[in-house]
Amino acid sequence: MATVASPHPPGAFEITLENLFSFPQGRRVLTCLQCGTCTATCPYGVGMQYPPRRIIGMLRTGQLEKVLTSDSLLSCVACYACTAKCPRGIELTTVLLPLLKEQMLLSLPEVPSELQRALENMLRYGNPMGESPRKRAAWAKTSSIPIRILPEDPRTTDVLWFVECYTSYHPRGQDTARATAKIFQALGIDFAILGNEEKCAGECVRLSGEPGLHNTLMEYNMQVFRKYKFNSIVTSCPHAYDAFRYSYRTAGFDYELRLATTFLAQHLEALRPMLRGKAGYTVTYHDSCCMGRHNGFYEEPRTLLQAIPGIKLVEMTHNRVNTICCGGGGGGMWLDTYYKAKGYERLSERRVKEAVATGADVLAVACPYEISRFEDAVKVLGYDKRMIVRDITELLVESMEGEI
Amino acid sequence: MDPANTNKASTGGTGVYVCHCGTNIAGIVDVHVVVEYAATLPSVAIARDYKYLCSTPGQELIKQDIHEHGIDRVVVAACSPCLHEKTFRKAIADAGLNPYFVQIVNLREHDSWVHTDHTAATQKAMDLIRAAVRRVRIHKPLNPKRVSVHPDVLVVGGGIAGIHAALTLADAGKHVYLVERDATIGGHMAMFDKTFPTLDCAACILTPKMTAVQAHPKITLWTLSEVTQVDGYVGNYKVTVKRKPRFVLEDACVGCMECIEACVYKQAKVPDEFNMYLGKRKPIYIPFPQAVPQVVVIDPETCIEFKSGKCKKTCVEVCADRKAIDFHQPEKIETIDVGTIILATGFYTFNAKRIPYYGYGTYPNVYTALEVERLVNSAGPTGGEIVLRDGRRPKAVGIVHCVGSRDENTNRYCSRVCCMYSLKLAHLIKERSEAEVFNFYIDMRTPGKGFEEFYNRVAEEGTHFIRGRVADIYPDPQDQGRLLMCAEDTLMGVICKVPVDMVILATGLEPQPDAQEIRRRFHITCSMEGFFLERHPKLAPVSTFTDGVFLAGCCQGPKDIPDTVAQAGAAAAEALALIDAGYVEQEPYTASVLEEECSGCKTCIPICPYQAITLLEDKKKANINEVLCKGCGTCVAACPSGSIQQNFFEDQEIFAEIEGLLSYA
Repeated sequence: MATVASPHPPGAFEITLENLFSFPQGRRVLTCLQCGTCTATCPYGVGMQYPPRRIIGMLRTGQLEKVLTSDSLLSCVACYACTAKCPRGIELTTVLLPLLKEQMLLSLPEVPSELQRALENMLRYGNPMGESPRKRAAWAKTSSIPIRILPEDPRTTDVLWFVECYTSYHPRGQDTARATAKIFQALGIDFAILGNEEKCAGECVRLSGEPGLHNTLMEYNMQVFRKYKFNSIVTSCPHAYDAFRYSYRTAGFDYELRLATTFLAQHLEALRPMLRGKAGYTVTYHDSCCMGRHNGFYEEPRTLLQAIPGIKLVEMTHNRVNTICCGGGGGGMWLDTYYKAKGYERLSERRVKEAVATGADVLAVACPYEISRFEDAVKVLGYDKRMIVRDITELLVESMEGEI
Repeated sequence: MDPANTNKASTGGTGVYVCHCGTNIAGIVDVHVVVEYAATLPSVAIARDYKYLCSTPGQELIKQDIHEHGIDRVVVAACSPCLHEKTFRKAIADAGLNPYFVQIVNLREHDSWVHTDHTAATQKAMDLIRAAVRRVRIHKPLNPKRVSVHPDVLVVGGGIAGIHAALTLADAGKHVYLVERDATIGGHMAMFDKTFPTLDCAACILTPKMTAVQAHPKITLWTLSEVTQVDGYVGNYKVTVKRKPRFVLEDACVGCMECIEACVYKQAKVPDEFNMYLGKRKPIYIPFPQAVPQVVVIDPETCIEFKSGKCKKTCVEVCADRKAIDFHQPEKIETIDVGTIILATGFYTFNAKRIPYYGYGTYPNVYTALEVERLVNSAGPTGGEIVLRDGRRPKAVGIVHCVGSRDENTNRYCSRVCCMYSLKLAHLIKERSEAEVFNFYIDMRTPGKGFEEFYNRVAEEGTHFIRGRVADIYPDPQDQGRLLMCAEDTLMGVICKVPVDMVILATGLEPQPDAQEIRRRFHITCSMEGFFLERHPKLAPVSTFTDGVFLAGCCQGPKDIPDTVAQAGAAAAEALALIDAGYVEQEPYTASVLEEECSGCKTCIPICPYQAITLLEDKKKANINEVLCKGCGTCVAACPSGSIQQNFFEDQEIFAEIEGLLSYA
């Protein structure tokens, strides 16, 4: 590109730029005002050697190599704050940064081992924790209601429930899975899961700079989808939802798609009479970046919470488009040790402090990454007597069962 | 169809003139090839090219050929007919031909500017010229028609633009109807404290003009009024105006304001619109002390008499014999005849709640700039003292530039005035308080007379400038009374969190929320961002695509007071030009009915936008009033029997053009 004066002979960095400038959204970086909104709103902007504004500045002046051989981009947790606020509409989170992160992972002398391991696990086991794929549906055996698993019973189902990794494996995620299943059953939904045939949708893999691995997972999951007959897909994970909604389209994904939270909000009128138990507590809701800022679902989770009798909903200082990331997106889920070594404040702790400041008893979430992250933060900060973390589905089930 | 048979009078041959337009056309189209080709076409006697045909020597070339070679039809292949059709019509008329014996081929906009392939563009030029040559042979002689221009003018909107336009016209002796939606004229300018860069007091320079409007014998001022319908055409508009009741008779009220004092509400309780709801007023009130007309107004939404019918009506008692208060005053519909219209409907300030992370509406100490204008105004709710909603006086104030401007998520354009008014507010705050002021800007835009000097002055006064767009505003966890403004200081390369007591959002200018409705009512167009569209951005900046309707002020796009006043003067001059000429020449492109073929089906009658068609009851035939017909062609297309023909667009002319285009010679 004539706009970039590069002292280097054509190479990987130049090709990266050419790729970027070859499509309209990529060319938007040439319109950057250098206003610094991205840097100022970036949750790790203070710590990065090259925060987002400088990355664009360096890119435009042919100094991309310096950026890509530094570890700055590892601090991007794909929270979409820069993208949502950019006055030039530059899609940093979805377009610019994944492209650069891919080059960075190749250029870095050393990729943090925890990230390396998570990505290897993803390739080998289809989940980042390295859990056995054969145990993916193990939680279903502990569910109080029967869960139909498609590979065992391949009859047509109305709803294919894509459970995702953290909901399938993490003990607290499994609580959410069981709660979701209870609500589905109560609503009379005909649903089934893919069981051990399901693999991670791969959204965080793509946004941490491994598009190839994402594509492998995508092709695998698409093949599995094509094996079965169903009317729509509902997923518990905003990250999977995001992948299906955007990147999977390129692989022919055209199923009707909903996120569990919005799916339940659509069934609210049927759900409302079942919500009998009165909750005597105050709740504050954390907007997940992927679900809120990138997909615009701000009101559905709040509508569900407000349907629970006796609940008082209060807002944190940063909410909706201005939410603060839990720190788990874009590979951040697998970089906690690295961030700690950098001396960063844990984003989940920053968020929990805001939640506690509202005086709420419960921090409600709707993304499976958040339960474990926030529960850790609550304990570390010593707030475990003052605040509990619950998925919205758990709160709904509590009310349905009158346990409160 | 043989052209020679259709018009026996034309036997002298056609002249074809291809313009280079510098390199605009000649850079893509090979004009020499085109000229050589044109010379071979039937009826063409002469074909020439010229660097700039619109120049005087270019026109002389055509005139000379008419005189010396007796050509009687002319094809000019140049730019859009919008630009020079009139030029060439006049040129051939000067040489003795009927002006409608020229046909323009738009080689520039339709060919060279939109294509990159030289060969194909040259071929297209040849095709278009062939079509024009065929057509021009059968052009009939026509003469432009004249319509008279009513000398009265309607000015819509009583801000500084409308006021200036109305006064200019009235001073020239024209009768002006000034229609204003609010209870007073003055618009946004009346709300400002000082005006940049000279710091004149806005009221001091505006109110004399407002009173001049009131006193002017040539101005009819209708406040609380709106135009509801516009019929007619240039020179002869019929306008319907709805005049909402004020519930106070303008002729009887002397503006003593005793009624306000006497109102059963002892305390002002209603949030005051004029003070951006920062102050209070009573249900009976005057918007501000210098309001014009100096007549009180009753707000039926909050007046007890309107709500319950059981008020003691102390206002009526104190008004006594003047009997100015009338709770039953009806709405009035007025119909007026005017020749020209000036739209000066102003702007709307960006709703800052649309950018939630700036906290407007959430944190009480986040203000919009217009609110602060009232706050620093000595006639405002705090008497000019800078006092926050919580009663404190700010020690630090932050001003956010570009709120709702230069932002893909809100408005893409620059609102032009915010940098300067932000500098002005910084100056006023420093003048009237001890506060430190921080201006957060992306680019400082001060392109006006004395503007950069003002920026210099404000910087010298010690205002802080941080080059960075504010990304977040939230309460300081350490001190809940303060707000943290988070931005990257991009010149220093550091992220800063500046604690302030007051935030001012420099909100941008937007089209009025009902701009689309208004543009339909006045038959004009809007540009992409919703402001009214001028006819030409450089050469017809106050005209619209509807003849006789002109624009002034921010309804056309964001601008400051000097530009607004200049534009209002220009709009008035354009209106005067029409009025003083007394008539406008219109193209004779009117339609007419071939009576023998008309079946009297009446299809054409309701679809005519100008009500120009009636049914001749005796003959059962449609008849088109030539004076009312604007030549839009709607009836021509709709007529099922093809019995309506339109001058200059007759079927045989159109077919000749199509045949020419399709006949590869």
